[in-house]
Amino acid sequence: MDRSQAADALKLLGSARYADIRYTATHQQHVKVRNGEVDHLSSTVDRAIGVRVLVGNGWGFAASTDTSEASMRDTALRALEVAAASNIASTQQIVLSDVEPYTAAWASQYQIDPWSIPIEKKIEHLMNATEPMRSDARIHQASGEISCYRQEKTFASTLGSFIEQTTTEMGGGIEAVAIEGNEFQRRTYPNPFGGDFQAEGWEFIERLDLAHKGLQVRDEALALLAAPKAPAGRFDLIVGSAQLALQVHESCGHPTELDRAMGLEISLAGGSFLQPDMLGKFRYGSDLVTIVADATVPGALGSFAFDDDGVPAQRFPLIDRGMFVDYLTGRDTAPALGRRSNGTVRAESAARIPIIRMTNINLEPGTTPLADIIAGTKRGVFVETNKSWSIDDVRLNFQFGCEIAYEIVDGKLGRLMKNPLYTGITPEFWRSCDAVADRSSWQIWGLPNCGKGDPMQTMRVAHGAPAARFRNVEMG
Amino acid sequence: MRTERDSFAILDRALGAAGTEADASFISVDQNISRFANSNVHQNMSEVSAGLTLRVIVDGSMGVASTTSFDDDEIRRTADLAREAAKHSSPLQNFTGLNRENAPLPAVVTFDEGTASITPAEKAHELRAMFDGGREHDVQFAGAYLTSRASVACANTHGIRRYAPLTYADSTVIALHARGSGHASRCARRANEVDIASLGKEATMKATVRLDNIEDIDPGAFDVILEPPALAEVFEWMTMIAFTGQAFEDGSSFLVDRLGQRIAGENFTVADDALDSSFLPFPFDLEGFAKRRVPLIENGVARTPMVDKAYADRLRLTPTGGTWHLGGADHGTSFHISIDGGDATREEMIASTKLGIWVTRFNYVNGLLEPKSALMTGTTRDGTFLIRDGEIAARLPNLRWTQSMVEAFSNIESLTRERRRVSTWYNMFGGTIAPLMKIRGWHFTGKSV
Repeated sequence: MDRSQAADALKLLGSARYADIRYTATHQQHVKVRNGEVDHLSSTVDRAIGVRVLVGNGWGFAASTDTSEASMRDTALRALEVAAASNIASTQQIVLSDVEPYTAAWASQYQIDPWSIPIEKKIEHLMNATEPMRSDARIHQASGEISCYRQEKTFASTLGSFIEQTTTEMGGGIEAVAIEGNEFQRRTYPNPFGGDFQAEGWEFIERLDLAHKGLQVRDEALALLAAPKAPAGRFDLIVGSAQLALQVHESCGHPTELDRAMGLEISLAGGSFLQPDMLGKFRYGSDLVTIVADATVPGALGSFAFDDDGVPAQRFPLIDRGMFVDYLTGRDTAPALGRRSNGTVRAESAARIPIIRMTNINLEPGTTPLADIIAGTKRGVFVETNKSWSIDDVRLNFQFGCEIAYEIVDGKLGRLMKNPLYTGITPEFWRSCDAVADRSSWQIWGLPNCGKGDPMQTMRVAHGAPAARFRNVEMG
Repeated sequence: MRTERDSFAILDRALGAAGTEADASFISVDQNISRFANSNVHQNMSEVSAGLTLRVIVDGSMGVASTTSFDDDEIRRTADLAREAAKHSSPLQNFTGLNRENAPLPAVVTFDEGTASITPAEKAHELRAMFDGGREHDVQFAGAYLTSRASVACANTHGIRRYAPLTYADSTVIALHARGSGHASRCARRANEVDIASLGKEATMKATVRLDNIEDIDPGAFDVILEPPALAEVFEWMTMIAFTGQAFEDGSSFLVDRLGQRIAGENFTVADDALDSSFLPFPFDLEGFAKRRVPLIENGVARTPMVDKAYADRLRLTPTGGTWHLGGADHGTSFHISIDGGDATREEMIASTKLGIWVTRFNYVNGLLEPKSALMTGTTRDGTFLIRDGEIAARLPNLRWTQSMVEAFSNIESLTRERRRVSTWYNMFGGTIAPLMKIRGWHFTGKSV
């Protein structure tokens, strides 16, 4: 979609208070090997246009996978029809926060184009990582995956913005499934569900060094078969970086989405215990807990130059030394707080309505080395790598399961333990945080599968987290 | 949506471009979704979409590619990508080729002209009336109202050609009172079976009943009455962790090594059933297999997982017709979960309960805790009630539970004759149809504050 095509479509929307049009082309390639075979190899290209229009107090959105000029015009007219319908059942005034018009072009950076690597090399890379894992009959499954993603997006609005952005991402990981009798254990590296993901090129896959991790993954899966079950009761809990990233996602990222807090997502994904009258007054966590939203981190999945409202990417605190200070907002929600949008509205593709999404929601590192935190723990449990996740509809009561746990006795890591579960209430949990590890354990993790909206949109977000300790946490 | 002729024209070009054994699906959807919250329509979308997926077999190996553009050049590129993928894939074990079973399709009604032609404005008027009606009960409404029309076609190089038009209507309504919330939902092939006004009333009843007595309970094992939306959440996970070809093949399903054995109570039967006219009928899957009723667990006995053609050959099972995405990693899944009812009524279930909990709906269920026992966790929402001495005694806070489903389905005390359809968020083909289920000793492990 070029500037004149966008202008032609937007011209049809003269009666609108505001309108924008987006075009996306999303390219994906996925390779999976399993037990010495190429289990899955696919390529997809999805193209779409989407037109959003505000007439009176009614939003209308129309989309099509037909991206021709004729379809752009038809789609624009359908958006007007839908906006007119919205006005029939609209009972509230819509106010948009200000934004300047921008003309910009941006692309995420990479060294080696994911599509420049031949499929054979990707397969070979995964085979080299997974074949050594199959050397024990109890390993029922040794698998590895590599994913490539690129989205080209063009945005134009009646405010005069014309923004082109291209995001390129790669992900990869390996997994061992060990079975003995009725015991089933899964161990992954560096994360489950396809591994870790970054807005980088093939250099990220090389940096994962999958080939040298396979035996460790195999050995841990086998050891878990015979390991004792993690205990039930109250323990001091040290949560590793990968698991804490998901804890941040579920118990801080989602509840600080302003659309949730305003009830706009309540029927499907739920609401939020963090209500606007708590801003600046509510103690969410201990003084050690500072969580920022940062869409400017180079190479992270939640980074971009402009959101799908045409608002520039920003960095701002959500939790500042334990206090709840801000939400993730968009142009049509921020005015409820008397604020301007902080630029977090995105859609999976042009075929979907832009809604508030996490960017990179990061727990800032502390000053204590992880080894010192472990050494300072008399009786506790260390957990790492997510296995299961569940949280209630206002993001208060959570339960997480992890792939692996270690007993901590007198400041030392002890026995390996299987099937750890921990549970809590969000602010009680974060207030019990008495140690946040330093930058040496801090890592940013890409999550390409955050679900929200109706129809469900899968968004690509990221979370930076170190390890941290939480006192007196309920397990089991 | 596209006509049969248009759909097959695209499929024929794709199969021609494949130049080898191949199958393809072409799905076109026109849908409108009106979302509302705080008794206000805040998102309203109209989408026209179409997608082609091409799967090729080269020297016994499979490759898949898909696109949303259908000019000759793009179809040729898609075929090239699929062949390239097949060239680098491993031969499928025991594979005897793509579907050749050109059985007649069951005669099921999948399309309703009234649903296909409903306008966003007509829906908005229905919603506005519900919003206005909520004021007298001090409730506001949130939810979504979807209507769609679609065409679904698939074909392969062995002469299989399937086409069906499809309509679908689905609404979820949450009523929000200052001290409670309630939920109601309906889905159907015909929009006139999704009565927004009655959904509003049902959700309002759930939001306002027993506001005079809000109690708290300590965690523990309770008899529980689960409504169909709660069961549907559980069975979405059951499908993923136990009933797919992938879960069976990789050893994680609790069905492994137990086919033909009793694994649940005799009063528990669950099947894949796309033929039931009271459910959400559809005549074929995307490999072109004619749909039939497939018992998964029958009178407590494990019968089969869902398997596509490739995994049926690999595992030496019979294809079950459960392919809804060519090249999907599940290798067969159920989009039409049908749980048999019993002979109880809702009122009898409540009256027979000395101390128990009535659950409208679950939130954020997760089934990955321990798949071999189908250990799951989740919370309740939008209507959780304490039953004491056969009566609804109090409204409860949302509760967390952690429960093995293998254990739960061995402890079913009763099932209602009444069954309800429940939609899923991930497909338009089907969902779950379920009775109310009363289970002894369900483990509640915590609560929201």
